[in-house]
Amino acid sequence: MSPSTASTEPISRSIEPFQVSLERFEGPLDLLLHLIRAQDIDIFDIPIARITEQFVKALEGGLEAMPIERAGEFLEMAATLVRIKAQLLLPRPEQPDWDEDPRAELVRRLLEYEHFQDVVHVLEGAEAQRGRHFGKGFVEHRPSPGLAPVELELSLAEFLSIAARIPEPLPPAEVRPPSQTVTVEEKASLLRRLLSKAKKVSFDRLFRPWGTRAHAVASLLAALELARQQVLRIEQVKPFSSIWLLPGNRDGGPRSADGPETGE
Amino acid sequence: MRDEQVVEATLFASQTALDPDEIARADESLDRERVLDAIRALRDQYEASERAFQIYQLGDGYQILTRPEFAPYLERFDSVPRAPHLSPAALETLAIIAYRNPIGRIEIEEVRGVSASSVLRTLLDWELVEVVGRGEGLGRPLLYGVSSRFLEHFGLKDLSDLPAPDELPVVLGELQEAMEAETVSAEEAPDEEAVAREALAGEAAAESD
Repeated sequence: MSPSTASTEPISRSIEPFQVSLERFEGPLDLLLHLIRAQDIDIFDIPIARITEQFVKALEGGLEAMPIERAGEFLEMAATLVRIKAQLLLPRPEQPDWDEDPRAELVRRLLEYEHFQDVVHVLEGAEAQRGRHFGKGFVEHRPSPGLAPVELELSLAEFLSIAARIPEPLPPAEVRPPSQTVTVEEKASLLRRLLSKAKKVSFDRLFRPWGTRAHAVASLLAALELARQQVLRIEQVKPFSSIWLLPGNRDGGPRSADGPETGE
Repeated sequence: MRDEQVVEATLFASQTALDPDEIARADESLDRERVLDAIRALRDQYEASERAFQIYQLGDGYQILTRPEFAPYLERFDSVPRAPHLSPAALETLAIIAYRNPIGRIEIEEVRGVSASSVLRTLLDWELVEVVGRGEGLGRPLLYGVSSRFLEHFGLKDLSDLPAPDELPVVLGELQEAMEAETVSAEEAPDEEAVAREALAGEAAAESD
């Protein structure tokens, strides 16, 4: 049944330019018509062997991914092509219509299908035309009620200067398993150390050295936790300006497993 | 004069195409003929005063729609409702039904070379296709035809708006030209020639009666 084993090499090489992806086609007639038209083949004199081979080649690899019903439709056409090829090779004078070209019925179906493809284009044109007329029912988009508009106390210049500070997006990170666990405790002790050396630490500095999200999250949590324990204070002079971490009321000594008893 | 205003008010308030008989219900003095006369008069008025809208015939009904040359402006609003585009399978099936009306599922599948049951179900759900009868064959299969919704979706007056089979090549050629003209002028303000051509197409439909 497989014609690819039966036929000659040069043909299969000439197939290569017609690599097609099956999803693009509505069905076997669509695919067949594409193969014929793309090669300027005379539809009334279809080289069945060549077309069959190209058709089967196009199915390779695509059939498994298809729903079985759709795959069956393509296979049925492949079988029809092979049958026509056999009839061309073995005319049967004993049958009443033996002198009719076995390809005639297929040609009729292809031409009919092509005709309806033309109609499809006419309908597409009409649909596009109709789409340019608008009826009532046009509603200008309004923000949904319930969300009060927020006044932004920020000038355009301020906004732009902030926007300019945003670093270029990093190149897409390769996915790799986390090499180590980052704990909030580690970050907290790092922060304590930094604060014991400097009077103030820029909030940004906590994130800068490490690219990964885990570090950023742990640093942020550590800073918030220390602020809650009043080991450090967080200051920002005005909205969107730099955030500074300063030593708090308590010193940065080794911490006990405290938390809740931290008074006001 | 009064007829026209009543008809205009009815068309204006409607979001869908209205059959002239339906419009005639607005007033005892109205009937189908008077409604059609009023629509013709209104169309002339809109034309003369260069309104941005016109009354178009869609299937058996009439609806006030904007003229196509204003589409680029309206399309800037995300909230403008846009008609959904039909899938290739749906268009293929509709093409066959429109030309072979009435036709059964098996015959549709023979032309397409693929199963048509699921796409038929969708088209029935969308009311683009309707059951128009039963065939003679085994099991008296259902026969399908396109609906008035089909005409509305494609902006057609009736099925004779579709080109006859032997006219297809000509129509396709014109369509090709129109599309090329459209792509050329896509970035600029609407191209007057293309606009005129489209407007003509729309008006030819409504003025032929």
